[in-house]
Amino acid sequence: MAYVLRRLGFYLLAAWASLTLNFVIPRLAPGDPASAMFARFEGRVQPEAMVALRAAFGFTDAPWYIQYGTYLKHLFRGDLGLSYAYYPARVSEVIGTGLVWTLGLAGCAVIISFTVGCMLGVLAAWNRGGWLDATVAPALAFLGAFPYFWLAMLALYLFGFGLGWFPLRHAYSHDLEPALSFTFAADVARHAFLPGASIVMATLGGWMLSMRNTMVATLGTDTLRLAHAKGLPPRQVMLRYAARNALLPNVTGFGMALGFVLSGSLLTEIVFSYPGTGYLLILAVRNQDYPLMQGLFLTITFAVLAANFAVDLLCLWLDPRTRAHA
Amino acid sequence: MKAALWALTLLLVACKVEPRPRPPGVLFVSVEQQSAWVRNFNPLFAGAGSRWPTRAGVYECLEIFSPAVGQWTPWLATGHAWSEDRRTLRFTLREGVRWSDGKPFSAHDVAFTFQLLKQHAALDAGGVWRFVEDVRAEDAHTVAFQFSRVYIPGFAELAQQPIVARHVWEKVADPVTFTNPEPVGTGPFTEVTLFRNQVYELGRNPHYWQPGKPAVSALRFLAFPTNDQANLALVEGEVDWAGNFVPAVDRTFVARDPEHHGRWFPLYGSTVFLYPNTTLPPLNDVRVRKALSMALDRERLVEIAMYGYTRPADATALNDAYTAWRDAEAAQGAWVKHDLEAAKRLLDEAGLKEGPDGLRRKADGQPLTLDIEVVGGWSDWVRAGQVVARDLRKLGVQSQLRTYEFGAWYARLQKGEFQLAISWSLDGPTPYTFYKWQISPRTVRPVGEVAAANWHRFGDAEADELLTRFERADSEEEQRALMAAVQRRYSETAPSIPLFPNPSWGESNTKRFTGFPTAQNPYARLSPHAEPDSLLVLTALTPREP
Repeated sequence: MAYVLRRLGFYLLAAWASLTLNFVIPRLAPGDPASAMFARFEGRVQPEAMVALRAAFGFTDAPWYIQYGTYLKHLFRGDLGLSYAYYPARVSEVIGTGLVWTLGLAGCAVIISFTVGCMLGVLAAWNRGGWLDATVAPALAFLGAFPYFWLAMLALYLFGFGLGWFPLRHAYSHDLEPALSFTFAADVARHAFLPGASIVMATLGGWMLSMRNTMVATLGTDTLRLAHAKGLPPRQVMLRYAARNALLPNVTGFGMALGFVLSGSLLTEIVFSYPGTGYLLILAVRNQDYPLMQGLFLTITFAVLAANFAVDLLCLWLDPRTRAHA
Repeated sequence: MKAALWALTLLLVACKVEPRPRPPGVLFVSVEQQSAWVRNFNPLFAGAGSRWPTRAGVYECLEIFSPAVGQWTPWLATGHAWSEDRRTLRFTLREGVRWSDGKPFSAHDVAFTFQLLKQHAALDAGGVWRFVEDVRAEDAHTVAFQFSRVYIPGFAELAQQPIVARHVWEKVADPVTFTNPEPVGTGPFTEVTLFRNQVYELGRNPHYWQPGKPAVSALRFLAFPTNDQANLALVEGEVDWAGNFVPAVDRTFVARDPEHHGRWFPLYGSTVFLYPNTTLPPLNDVRVRKALSMALDRERLVEIAMYGYTRPADATALNDAYTAWRDAEAAQGAWVKHDLEAAKRLLDEAGLKEGPDGLRRKADGQPLTLDIEVVGGWSDWVRAGQVVARDLRKLGVQSQLRTYEFGAWYARLQKGEFQLAISWSLDGPTPYTFYKWQISPRTVRPVGEVAAANWHRFGDAEADELLTRFERADSEEEQRALMAAVQRRYSETAPSIPLFPNPSWGESNTKRFTGFPTAQNPYARLSPHAEPDSLLVLTALTPREP
């Protein structure tokens, strides 16, 4: 229990640090949003309106600590302010349009990639030098070397545009009503398949290799020899003894990888016009939409922190040693 | 077991589904690029990310200007008249116009709209209250604007303002932050029949004032976050009307179905300039500016940077929307023609002698270096900047292209903290706005202070005097003569270095709808981005008989 509390304390500290960074960084950047917005109208807004625009966005020259106080106060109320790029929509609303799709797509892709990757790694290590080990592992490592978005574009071109097997864009067909029906679910699955598969393909190799290597090390230990000597069935030895022990470093890696996957899935989303938060982030950066940027970074940070906390709890369950220390 | 599951999943997703038939009479438009739609139909605040076509489609203005024909089309107003002393402008409003909730439209709505602009300065994007003193509804169909000074170009600003309903907006607490989810307008499409994050649809206004119009039953908008996605849908024939930049458009789009796929890229976009910071010597010397301009091979530049979609700018720097205003003599100015030898002679005259290493030297013996600033992601300008830098090096000027993130670039540009920068220019119905922000001392701000335009910080008293007279000129003849004189003055002083006019991108697919503007029938700009003449298009399109 003390261990859990310690970890929780650490995460709260990390959350505070990210909140603060989130406040500081955009304010250090040059330029200001009213100008960025003005520029979007290339010559269609009279320059005199700029002053009024700045006023409308409530730019204050208040000292930073007052701004910081207001920022924290609003944050605890769940109020992330108004987006500049989508003015006057609330940031929480704008993020709400995409968050569920991003979490769904990236989340499923990571979990699938992790499970399948680890299974393949276990099998490859168990049959060292077998066909799986000799062909699939290097092939996946090769695929993993490509950037996400490049794989995504390739998949879009081949299977979407060329063969026409999958839709080219969006999370579901625009003429379908979202409903809890099999038709709609199948439609969502068809739309998610290519973007999901391109993320899975890009990350599978990493999981497989690291699982295989730790597993190979585990296989040489005395524990395993004993297990064999006891005459346990090989399958049980493979999964209960070797894989469980070898999984630990990978689980830790899982928490670390989440952040990367979220940022990687942003690019994939843009290729497939997936209505997630990826494009929102780019738009926010382009328009110097601080509130939206901050809202997105916070959402991503908190998602990663929460996932890492969950991973810590999982380690607790997997690894008796942590329990002994706690 | 596992293999069977996999096979099943693959079967489920990989079966090629035939596209469902499209609803007849629904026009698919691709204008904005967004990953998800946000419901906002606020027509008043230019800073609002309101959905197209809020400002010209849901709402309407009094009169519409289309540059292709150089004509004003009466819309909510049937006409306008100036008083004797040119201090009062009266619009006569159309009878029988209704709001989409069935209530009659009147002069009170117009007066109320402009009062809103007065109360909330952020709404006054055109800055009309700089020259308007008062606005009154004289009767149900006459609205009168009192001007604080004689200012003829003000008519255009007033005529193109979207008008909102008083009975709706007087209840709105803050019109700046109001997202207006259920708009009540006078335009052809006012009913939000569908609004989801990837698609929204606008249906017909049941009370539209033009009988039998619009013939299109609804407008549908799919969310495309990138140009590539939007172009894919266009090429596949899913979109009927678009305003995208399409590389090699004739090969990739038109050739796929020459009978139906059309594109028209008239040069009605704002002219792109290489702005010299005239506060820095030797850029304050007109000979140096003209030399830099003559060193540029604009023919190659438009080929490389713009895929040949545009032409080199002439010495008036005007785009083709102002063809009727262009002064032949000023346009002939040789300082925008590629002539390296003449450019070198000009630099010699200006005292920038060539050193033994071939580099031009300033008076203090230091080589002349001029860096060009552009926005990192704007690939057309980046390419243009590369061509410019190469051409300047041929002239013996050390020149590098520097790319900045947009915010940083714009801040430097506005404050005048640059040597050379590529940027756009400002436009209006007449060249008045354009030249005011190129050459008028009234628009010059000191270095370090933010300037909305005239970033090159150049003012010429003689041109300014002509512009001031133009503000008071009401006969077309006098306006033309004054503007011609302004152009000649611009060409003499060369305050900035024009590169090329921007095309206004427009693509149409006549498979399902007819009546799009074309180069042969230019009743409006084809680009849906062109507001408010997009209203002319929306009401002219008719579905083909299935």
